[in-house]
Amino acid sequence: MLNFHIPNRQRDEKIIILIRRHYFIILIKFLVWIILAILPFLFYLMMSNVLKGFLPAELFYPIVTLFASIYYLYIWLFAFYSFVDYYLDSWIVTTRRIIDIEQKGLFNQTISEQQLYRIQDVTSEIKGFFATFLNYGNVYVQTAGELERFIFKQVPNPGLVAKKISELAEENKRFNRLLADADEKISTK
Amino acid sequence: MAIPLSIFYYLYLFFILVFLAFSFFNVYTLLRFGFLTLSNLIIVVFYLAVSVLILTISWNYIGQIDWHQSVYFASTL
Repeated sequence: MLNFHIPNRQRDEKIIILIRRHYFIILIKFLVWIILAILPFLFYLMMSNVLKGFLPAELFYPIVTLFASIYYLYIWLFAFYSFVDYYLDSWIVTTRRIIDIEQKGLFNQTISEQQLYRIQDVTSEIKGFFATFLNYGNVYVQTAGELERFIFKQVPNPGLVAKKISELAEENKRFNRLLADADEKISTK
Repeated sequence: MAIPLSIFYYLYLFFILVFLAFSFFNVYTLLRFGFLTLSNLIIVVFYLAVSVLILTISWNYIGQIDWHQSVYFASTL
């Protein structure tokens, strides 16, 4: 899972966390598509006699067949589209950066990144019945000088993710301080 | 008034074309941005397999219809 392509990968950069929205989010979307797939059966059972009276007999069978075929093809297409949207929305925490990859429709992908040492504050939030029960929520990452926050949306174990990002940010800051000290010593010599 | 049944068939073919185009863009997006990994390939193959299954089942029914006939509305309504 962690063997994932990351944009503009730097030398020695390793992926620590790769997360998507909680499974429950895509499950809910699929549930909607399943309900929509069942609906025509119920509609046909209840309304077939009415429809037969409304449409000419030689038109009834072709229309129902074509409609059913198109309906199920498009249900399948939109369900797949929901999955693609879910699958491509991801957040990556590496040893140096946090990367937010957001898929907005088919032809629009936004990638934002922030250096770990610039992180000032990490907050996790679990809100709502299902979120509390299934342990998923948002993680807000505030960086120095940035008005906008990085938001990891509806991710599993937000508390753990926030803790891990804080630890990595601290580690990164310590490492950067050491590098700066070493540079200073070299320049004074 | 008589309308040829084939109109519905051509309309259906148009929807199929749109379906194929959007399927292509979906698969392209998944492979382009999600990368050519084994899990991605399995997802794509599964999607294509179910799509072919729906089209095959549809064709079994649609193939039985005589699309050359016309429907007379005035006499039936």
